[in-house]
Amino acid sequence: MSKLQIPVESETLANGLRVVVSPDHSAPIATVGVYYQIGFRLEPRGRSGFAHLFEHMMFQGSEHAGKMEHIRLINSSGGVLNGTTNYDITNYFEVVPSNALERVLWLEADRMRALKVDDENLRNQRDVVKEEVRVNVLNQPYGGFPWLDLPPVAFRNWPNAHNFYGDFADLDAATLEDVRTFFHTYYAPNNAVLLMVGDVEPKESFELARKYFESIPPHPAVPSADTTELPQIEERRGEVEEKFGQLPALAIGYNMPPRHHRDWYASAMLDRVLHGGRAGRVYRSLVLEKQIALGAEGGMGFPDAFEYNGPTLGTTTIYHKPEYTPEATVAAFDEVIAEVRERAIDADELEQVKVMCRADYFSMLESGGGGVPRFGLMHALACFTLFDNDPQRVNTVLDNFLSVTPVEIQATARKYLAPANRSIVFRRPSVHAAHGDPSVSVRQGAK
Amino acid sequence: MAGPSSQTAIPATAPSLGPERSVAWPRRTVRTLANGMQVVLAEQHTFPKIGVELFFRSGNALVSRTSPDVAELTARLIRTGTNSRTSRHIEEDLRRMGANLGTVAGADSSAIAISGLSEFAEKLLAMVDDLARNAAFPADEFERERRQRVEELRIERATPGFLANERFRLVLFGNHPYAIIAPTEAQVEAYQRDALAAFYRENYVPSNALFIAAGDFSSERMMGLVEKTFGAWKAGPAPSLKEAELPRPRGRAVHLVHLPGSVQTEITLGNLAITRQSPDWRRAVLANAIYGGAFNSRLVANIREQKGYTYSPRSSLHALRHHGYFGVHAAVRNDVVAATLTEMFYELDRMRSLPVSDGELNDAINYLSGVFSLGIATQDGLLGQLSTVYLDRLPEDYLETFREKIRALQAGDVLEAARRYFDSANAQIVIVGDRAQIEPQAVLFGDVKVWDTQGNALAG
Repeated sequence: MSKLQIPVESETLANGLRVVVSPDHSAPIATVGVYYQIGFRLEPRGRSGFAHLFEHMMFQGSEHAGKMEHIRLINSSGGVLNGTTNYDITNYFEVVPSNALERVLWLEADRMRALKVDDENLRNQRDVVKEEVRVNVLNQPYGGFPWLDLPPVAFRNWPNAHNFYGDFADLDAATLEDVRTFFHTYYAPNNAVLLMVGDVEPKESFELARKYFESIPPHPAVPSADTTELPQIEERRGEVEEKFGQLPALAIGYNMPPRHHRDWYASAMLDRVLHGGRAGRVYRSLVLEKQIALGAEGGMGFPDAFEYNGPTLGTTTIYHKPEYTPEATVAAFDEVIAEVRERAIDADELEQVKVMCRADYFSMLESGGGGVPRFGLMHALACFTLFDNDPQRVNTVLDNFLSVTPVEIQATARKYLAPANRSIVFRRPSVHAAHGDPSVSVRQGAK
Repeated sequence: MAGPSSQTAIPATAPSLGPERSVAWPRRTVRTLANGMQVVLAEQHTFPKIGVELFFRSGNALVSRTSPDVAELTARLIRTGTNSRTSRHIEEDLRRMGANLGTVAGADSSAIAISGLSEFAEKLLAMVDDLARNAAFPADEFERERRQRVEELRIERATPGFLANERFRLVLFGNHPYAIIAPTEAQVEAYQRDALAAFYRENYVPSNALFIAAGDFSSERMMGLVEKTFGAWKAGPAPSLKEAELPRPRGRAVHLVHLPGSVQTEITLGNLAITRQSPDWRRAVLANAIYGGAFNSRLVANIREQKGYTYSPRSSLHALRHHGYFGVHAAVRNDVVAATLTEMFYELDRMRSLPVSDGELNDAINYLSGVFSLGIATQDGLLGQLSTVYLDRLPEDYLETFREKIRALQAGDVLEAARRYFDSANAQIVIVGDRAQIEPQAVLFGDVKVWDTQGNALAG
């Protein structure tokens, strides 16, 4: 059905590092990533935000490449680099002219083997991260909404429910010893996958992987944490102050089925029925027809769901007109939900959604994030390797979504889109934002 | 955190680069139809998708002195209904083709951009044609979009980055149309839908149009489709931009936008510079890369990696069609505004005073030469590069020769570009933040004018 076969080859090195190669010589560019199976959820208690702070430390120097050298070596090769911290993974990636492949592997191996940072680096990056939190959350209208607001309301288990960007007191409390421990605990070859995508030859790529990575010792046992949530029995609600924006907003999150369960595929299609752009039912009803809302969008459908390996929420975010109450807005949303629970969607609507999924899947593989070539392909390969031990899934997963039936979608709606299975967080504009009172205190997330 | 050295099995220095592979930009098929529409096609067969962008060389600058944002509102309205399709039909038809649509206006152009599955190429083109020629501007959709825009403006004028950009453009461009990037709420409230329909009629015309497609198609067949779809379209010429004289400020000045409760300060400073047509463009790009245009740059090394003042420092050359400007940007904590400005100027003055080293020069040349080509690997990247070349009417070989021209530059070029375009002594400074916390720092850098978020001057 997908008419596209992505070449994928994989090996596991003696130290447990998985290596995945996907050649495509249409442009002389290589996208390289190292993904570690560690994210926000597993950061230590009392150290909220640490997984992300640590990600910054990985750019501060390693044994043979000091501070600024990682950045200089990649930029001066004609490439760019970055890293991101997510719920269950942290990634480091480079996009370079393909003649820089070996240099990139040398750098990634050097920091996997021997991160080399000091107190001054930690102080510096703690300051940088605080400005990142300010620019993205504390000093922006609707900053952190809903990704930081919803988990503390929806979840009870600390790994799922804490402030992922970090309370400043926790960031301040972080020590070099914490950095050392975290590195030795999670940044092990047997807890990672190396990906080489684009203008690379599999044989040569595996040889280079062995040359640079295979001597890095594995860790005997990488700990995991219990991220399970007790079953939810009633709707949960919370509230967060909005300091800059004047529109009330709310986010509704439903607990989603587990990864690769048949319901998981159906729920992703259901998400597309509800949220697929302006043709999606929520946008159409609340923004275009009833005109209660000014914006309505979904989060965590297809293909975003690939990167989660624990409790997740299927989310709807709504910005509504102040002349409608939050309750009236939720009621209008509930009418849309009632429709998908009560009636199976018709064949034409489902066909539209499936064509769109196919197109979006290709776009995701091609780029899918910040314009980085093949970022999405690399990302999907990494998630399918780390969580499912099956990178080839990139060639089959689409068919599982495209085979979902109207009956399955309705059954999934009935099972999951129930009030007792959801949480709502209200972002309420504070009065003083409109009147310019500077004495505003900020809360990050509802407790 | 060094591991035991005995385990170190890898070389102590970075491997040198392998032989560089040549970058082959796709061949373009370029034609101007009898009605004046310029057509540019580039094949790229990696994924079964195509991307189409239909530009009209009229944007918000054309109306900013009379009815700012009418170009943008026109663009937004055209997807809400045509003579034969309602808003709902349009959105569902898009989904049937696996298509994403954007209709937007920038300063110099308006665009209908669509990407979808290549198997629906003909229908995708028909949709573009319908939106470009038959928009109906339904009254109820106009009211809805109007309210939407007002609420959006309220959010934008609470967003530090937007406020800095808005004030910066006003300061740099004075009475020129480029000064205004957004309307007031009252202006939007007062608009009539006739104004949008008139803008559409006058500017969405083939003699004003540039059609670019990239993706999985045969150029010959696509050109036939384009001719069939758009060939018979006839209309008069479009109006052109009326320019005004630009300010020539002497000395530095500070413009403080008071955002109550702000826990950070958004800084932007800079000056008028050049467009891509300038013979100095590549020199200036190189100087910018060394100053603050790359992660590996002096500004980032200084105020982020050494001092920790900011997460997001950068500098940019912004090229509009008729003029360009240079901007230095960072969001910093409130108590280091003066310290950050000092470092920004120190690094500007260093660029203007001393030649860069060979190592720094070569690093930056390699950086620009490499990242310029990253766009070749994705459809969006390719469309972006092609639209730059053809919208700005750059030479046909711009893409193919960029690398060699960058590689030919020397330290003297960088010094000259910095002296011309990093106008430290006359830089205009915009800071957005809580006045009480930052005004005492601002006065150290020049006369301070204070504004509220709606653009009203506040008493000094």
